[in-house]
Amino acid sequence: MTDSLHPPMSAATPKRTLTERLGNELSFVPVAIGLVALFFFFATQSDVFLTSRNLSNLMVQSTVTGIIALGLVFVLLTGEIDLSVAAISGVASVFMAKIVMDFGLPVPLAILAAVALGGLVGALSGRWITLIGVPSFVVTLGVGLVLNGIQLLLLPRTGRYNLMNSGVDKLAATHVTGVLAWGLILGAIAIFALVLGSTWRARQRAGLDASFHGGVLLPVVVVAAFLIGMLMFLENQRGLPMPVILFLALLGIMSYITSETRFGTYLYAIGNNAEAARRAGIKVDRIKIIAFAIAGSMAAFGGILSASRSLGVSVSSGGGVGGGALLLESIAAAVIGGVSLFGGRGMVVGALFGALIIATVSNGLNLMGVANEARLIVTGLLLIIAVSIDRGIEKLARPGS
Amino acid sequence: MTEPILSLRGVSKSFGSIKALSNVSLDLEPGKVVALVGDNGAGKSTLVKVMSGVHRPDSGQYLFEGREVHVSNPAEVADMGVQTVYQDLALCDNLDAVQNLFLGRELTGPWYTGFRVTRAASERRAKEVLRRLRLDSISLTRNVGAMSGGQRQNIAIARSILWEPKVVLLDEPTAALSHSAAEQVGDLVRELASHGLAVLVISHDIHHFVLDNTDRIEVLRLGRNAASFNSGDVTGEQVVNAMVGGNEAVNMAG
Ligand SMILES: Nc1ncnc2c1ncn2[C@@H]1O[C@H](COP(=O)(O)OP(=O)(O)O)[C@@H](O)[C@H]1O
Ligand SMILES: [Mg+2]
Repeated sequence: MTDSLHPPMSAATPKRTLTERLGNELSFVPVAIGLVALFFFFATQSDVFLTSRNLSNLMVQSTVTGIIALGLVFVLLTGEIDLSVAAISGVASVFMAKIVMDFGLPVPLAILAAVALGGLVGALSGRWITLIGVPSFVVTLGVGLVLNGIQLLLLPRTGRYNLMNSGVDKLAATHVTGVLAWGLILGAIAIFALVLGSTWRARQRAGLDASFHGGVLLPVVVVAAFLIGMLMFLENQRGLPMPVILFLALLGIMSYITSETRFGTYLYAIGNNAEAARRAGIKVDRIKIIAFAIAGSMAAFGGILSASRSLGVSVSSGGGVGGGALLLESIAAAVIGGVSLFGGRGMVVGALFGALIIATVSNGLNLMGVANEARLIVTGLLLIIAVSIDRGIEKLARPGS
Repeated sequence: MTEPILSLRGVSKSFGSIKALSNVSLDLEPGKVVALVGDNGAGKSTLVKVMSGVHRPDSGQYLFEGREVHVSNPAEVADMGVQTVYQDLALCDNLDAVQNLFLGRELTGPWYTGFRVTRAASERRAKEVLRRLRLDSISLTRNVGAMSGGQRQNIAIARSILWEPKVVLLDEPTAALSHSAAEQVGDLVRELASHGLAVLVISHDIHHFVLDNTDRIEVLRLGRNAASFNSGDVTGEQVVNAMVGGNEAVNMAG
């Protein structure tokens, strides 16, 4: 094409409104505000709530749900759902326990094998769903039940593998302190700053508008304050619990994948308009299968952490038959965190906030001496409020409003 | 007269017993905008789909740059340099203009970055293209779902020319647009031609869009060539008459 005379640049293009940003990269903000409000509320209700011992517990409590939700986000973004994640976590943890206890496999190898198994199950579900074109909730409901059955078959006659002193227990029991803990936290902050900084530098070099304050400084300060605050708070307890470190590390990696990479863009594109994605040459089926595989392996890893914390696996690992509260809370964590069940909207970090909200409600009400029934009711109401807020933001972001 | 870059010669296409196209011929020349008009069911979309490789013609020739080609799928046609913008636009509402422009063809970093999208380079390239098309007023960072119909249409067209095709086919780009938005699309269509592209545009808006923005008008009726006009020396009534079959097939094109 030949070039023509350029007309002078027209007046500044319209800036993105706050509602638009709340529907995109700030989708976790309402839930973060909600979390802070809950913290204030429970702090006024119980003296114990804000102690480092309790907050350490609370964070560890949130990791299993959080990690399963983290993987589930990938599937939800493509507009599908995986109702077998809790069952995968159960069967993978029992599988790991079996190959450690009955066959004497080294623990790290057993963990890897179990995570791979979870990924394989997810990939197979995804293959089936894309191949036959059946709704994912039906297929994964079926897969979940099949896995529940297999879990029972894998368990010994006692119905339980005791993992005390098996080596698996170390995973959840390890705490990182001192120089190592500071190294981890500062390293994480440095990597985050590097990623944002490189984006900013590239934009600046390309002559595009780039805000150092909004694009680098503010997010880095917020993340650094959160991580350093957490470390200082937990240092005078027993240090950083390994499950929390693993959860945050996975969160960082998964955030990078969804928001920075080509694969991440495809997840969002498919969730919004699969036909458009297909016509753009995106291999929609393959991307969906990978999303299911990620959800499966994250679920397996969550199950392993859970087994390590509870020092054993049993019939009730993975939430019991049908996935029980574990499945519902994992889905709820993602949705409360601002991930849309209709696909294409939400962020990975939502899984963190969603899981923290659920754990906070449970922990806080417990401290207040409120019975379990109330906990379920409150969590349910929070879920309804969260999807309603989400819907409202989506409507506001449409043209003509 | 310039040599046509894309020509159909005596193309026919049936769907079962329905004869959608019978012996249709059409030429597209570089730098020219050709309007394809006709009643509903006249075969306009089918003709575009033959050109874009979605349908294989039952008989007839497809010539590109003077040579006969046998195209079997849309990707092949796109590689040849023929881009199509369908009526539904195929945009992702949850992505911004830059992401939509590059969808499926992202500029990325090396594998060890996990194929990180190089946002700055993409945005700069997008900015250039939009400026060349005089579409500077389109925001690069807003979700396209929050944009007006005209802006969305323009983004879809801009996407089709991002990889510098030689021919652009537009199926009813103004159907869902307000009058002023349709005018913008008209400006864009002429802008494309001024850059040397051959443009085919299907439209029902004879009186405004077609007469104002095209060089030649090809009329299809019941799957056949019914008439051909130079847009400069014809009235809207004459075109409409040819569409509905008011008088016998005429050929007034020079
Ligand atoms: N995929 C198809 N299968 C069967 N019939 C079709 C198909 N596509 C188009 N037709 C028929 O071919 C004729 C021309 O259709 P079309 O090209 O869509 O017309 P236009 O775009 O001019 O309104 C119509 O009778 C239509 O019903
Ligand atoms: Mg049509």
